[in-house]
Amino acid sequence: MYAGLAYVRPEKLDEALEFLEEHGGETAVVAGGTDVMVDLRSGALQTGYLLDVSRLSELKGIAMQGEELWVGAGTTLSEIYSSETLALFAPALQKAAFTFGSKQVRNTATIAGNVVNASPSADTMPPLLIHEARVVLASSNGVRTVPVEAMSTGPYKSAIHPDEVITRFILKPAKSMLADFQKIARRKALAISRMNMAVMAEKDETGKIMFMRLALGSSTPTPRRMEDVEAFLLGKRPDRALLWEAGQVLAEKMVEITGRRPSTGYKEKAAQGLFMRMLYPLV
Amino acid sequence: MLRIGAVERLKGEPIFSADLKLDHPLTLNVLRSSRAHARIVKIDINGALNVKGVVKVFTASDVPGNNLTGIINKDRPLLVSDKVRFVGDSIAFVAAENEEAAEKGVHAINVVYEDLPAVFDPEEALKDSAPKIHEKGNLLFSRKVKKGNIDKAFENCQAVVEKTYQTSCLEHTYLEPDAGAGYVDGDGTIVIFASTQNPHYDHSEVVSILGVEDEKVRIIQAATGGGFGSKLDLNVQGFIGLALYHLKRPVRYVYTREEAFLATAKRHPLTMIMKTGADRNGKLLAMRARIICDTGAYASYGIAVASRSAVHATGPYEVENVDIEAHCVYTNKPFSGAMRGFGAPQMAFANESQMDLLAKELSMDPFEIRRVNIFRQGSETATGQKLTESIGILECLDAIQPYYKGAVKKWRTSEASPFKRKGVGIGAMWYGIGNTGMRNPSTARVEMDPAGAVTLYTGCADIGQGSTTVLAQIVAETLCLEADAIQLVVGDTKYTTNAGATSASRQTYISGNAVKEAAEKLRELLMTGAVDVLKVGKGSLMLDSGFVADSNDNAKRVSFSKLAARAYKKGLPFVCQGYFDPETVPLDPETGQGVPYSTYAFACHLAFVTVDTMTGEVRVEKVVAAHDVGKAIYPEGVIGQICGGVAMGVGFALMEEFMHGQTESMKDYFIPTCKDMPEVIPIIVESREPTGPFGAKGVGEPALIPTAPAILNALNDALGERIYSLPANLERVLEASIRSGCFGPKEAKNV
Repeated sequence: MYAGLAYVRPEKLDEALEFLEEHGGETAVVAGGTDVMVDLRSGALQTGYLLDVSRLSELKGIAMQGEELWVGAGTTLSEIYSSETLALFAPALQKAAFTFGSKQVRNTATIAGNVVNASPSADTMPPLLIHEARVVLASSNGVRTVPVEAMSTGPYKSAIHPDEVITRFILKPAKSMLADFQKIARRKALAISRMNMAVMAEKDETGKIMFMRLALGSSTPTPRRMEDVEAFLLGKRPDRALLWEAGQVLAEKMVEITGRRPSTGYKEKAAQGLFMRMLYPLV
Repeated sequence: MLRIGAVERLKGEPIFSADLKLDHPLTLNVLRSSRAHARIVKIDINGALNVKGVVKVFTASDVPGNNLTGIINKDRPLLVSDKVRFVGDSIAFVAAENEEAAEKGVHAINVVYEDLPAVFDPEEALKDSAPKIHEKGNLLFSRKVKKGNIDKAFENCQAVVEKTYQTSCLEHTYLEPDAGAGYVDGDGTIVIFASTQNPHYDHSEVVSILGVEDEKVRIIQAATGGGFGSKLDLNVQGFIGLALYHLKRPVRYVYTREEAFLATAKRHPLTMIMKTGADRNGKLLAMRARIICDTGAYASYGIAVASRSAVHATGPYEVENVDIEAHCVYTNKPFSGAMRGFGAPQMAFANESQMDLLAKELSMDPFEIRRVNIFRQGSETATGQKLTESIGILECLDAIQPYYKGAVKKWRTSEASPFKRKGVGIGAMWYGIGNTGMRNPSTARVEMDPAGAVTLYTGCADIGQGSTTVLAQIVAETLCLEADAIQLVVGDTKYTTNAGATSASRQTYISGNAVKEAAEKLRELLMTGAVDVLKVGKGSLMLDSGFVADSNDNAKRVSFSKLAARAYKKGLPFVCQGYFDPETVPLDPETGQGVPYSTYAFACHLAFVTVDTMTGEVRVEKVVAAHDVGKAIYPEGVIGQICGGVAMGVGFALMEEFMHGQTESMKDYFIPTCKDMPEVIPIIVESREPTGPFGAKGVGEPALIPTAPAILNALNDALGERIYSLPANLERVLEASIRSGCFGPKEAKNV
């Protein structure tokens, strides 16, 4: 079935990068394989080499590094699920792992795999966006860092170069009053998000919203921060009517970016509804 | 006791078709039509023959016998020769040394099509101007059930509700994709192992395709990972048989999940236009129903589905005046066939919605309106059948009512997040056991060898539902033995006799009776032999774990083995054949009057749902499921069926929808996961059926039928808005929430 496909598993990151320098154009990098193996079987992915990075220790680990929160590219969703560091400093990312795929998928799928696959509904993207994550990419020519929102250029189009691997994500840690991730799907597990959303928000002592970051997934060609909604709410005292209005702003922005599609009828309402549900604890 | 074979399954020991070790088997792969409706101008197989590893390419001209297949009416070619009728129709197949060559071979076949106008909507297909899919036209079958005078009766109604309901096309999504394998044995017999629900039907169909003697084909049911009705059709057996006939080399054919999705039967989508009227006490006076069953390109079990949907249209309620018509229509969609419930789940959704709507019109409690109309002893069904025994529906209703009262009083208004609403709903059902107004006998054989060992031979396919356990228990109970002492030969046409299909919830009742009759005959032989040996009259004899004993003097006893040995010596082997065919009266073609089934199972479910009014998400929290099964011979099996039925019902209600060309596999066709499962409280009601083995009826399909209606009624209870099309997915539930005014900045909590 996979005649002509070679499997390569380097021991060190440097070896992986060397291999990619030479064969990057004809290589698919595989970590958990939850997307790659499916595409390989269906024939959607045609490649000469599978480069397995799942055992590279350089890609592992979750830790605070000074003011930064480092999450290794090869961190599995199960590791995110049970990380105490993330529970403290990036709870929305951890919540994304609670509903991600199934336990079997979480045990093998990695955060970088989710980002590189560049699905509009990637569940780790909204949390990474609200933590203003930067992506560290390595190649034989060195290291570059790009903001996570620049990692996908369209649905399933990653900005990664053929000779690169992601080594880690650098997040801005934040402890806020409200930090949440929620998704809507057609069933309770093993389902691609119809819509997902991550939010962090904080009120000042007068009850006004003084800090807010919001990101929406599965609703625009690539997951996005929704700065218009953030700006709309900053400095205001949240009540039901205001949140409902902000949800309306979100829905309008979504339609403005994506245009009207058959799914829009549901999604513009659901965006407003999900937003209301998630932000309601601020009231 | 443990279910027979449970430990082996747990250890992975049973041999599924794909596991069979064969000597260098050939692999098959079928070329499926890429067109919905097209004349075949030419099939050029030369390209395939040039592929390395391809041994032969088969087309219709290779079929020596009858190319047409089908269990009720033969309209489906094994391999089409003139025209294709849906995307997925089988045109040719390749036998090759390996899977890769088989696949390459299929791609190298060149088919020249001439497209014909296609029709996908059953109502369009009924128009005179519609393209004809089959020679006889697009209307396959109609079932009419008529009684009394509905026009007059509707005039006397206080409340009349008229609504149109629509259900979706479903894929069965059994665990094991279709598979089979086979070889030609030393005496030239074609031996086929298959994942099947009906080995004896497979046998007759392969014999017909090959035009050979009955003895030349042997079908063995391999371990089977579920079927839900789809493995009643000939999916792989015909191709394997044809390849063995020509090539005399071992062959295997295992569908991918995608192929099982593309090429096997689906659940009939039904359109149901229902008009139901009641007087001011809630008594149903009249029902008019017009039902369209979309059977797709071929009939499969379409006639059975149309017939059963019409007969079951009233639900388990007395309605004196009915005018019901169900029409089964061909379209150029994938063919619909049998699926757990044969149209009854679809009808129950429509009918139970009507009951709640009438209750609302009349300001009645949903229990009360059901109680007023529910079948009781002496009730007459829409087909004019008088119900006399084993009518446990009221007991089922009574069993769930306390849960309903508790839910309304407490749970529905208990603490919930601000944008959620809760609802409870009832679904009731009846289900005729066995085929509709048709003969559907079963046979069985029970033997005792000269050493006293008992073997049951049954053609009844156990596909995971547990029939083998139940049948062994019946033999054991009749002969006063332990069930695990009974040796079993199951589903092998060389040794077993026809038990009919594992469908229509019929095996416990019908095969159970056949098995019981055979075992009773053996018991009688043992008794007669013991009279001789013990010099005691039969009336004083009893069976006691392997012995026949004098009930007055237990020391006076003779072992089964001694009795068997004596009999064999005399040339009287202990071989007993059993037979049972439920008594039915065929339905009149114009009025549908008759006795379609000799007994019915009944059930009521109560569903607890929480609805997110902001997003349309639904959580089914709990299902209380009361089932009248007559007698639960293997209660653990009944509970297993109930829980599995609820799972399937949750899928039918909320998420499942097969869309041709879009839902290709389990990646985009959603069935519930364990996280979607509610808590299930199974309640077994035993209203003894006098004609059943030890009073038993059946539960396989009934387990599923009330779940979706209960969930849909619960959604209406939560939102105050009703959904008329299944599935009640995110979009439809959110629309209902918006219509109800629950979607907005205000709290949506129940009050």
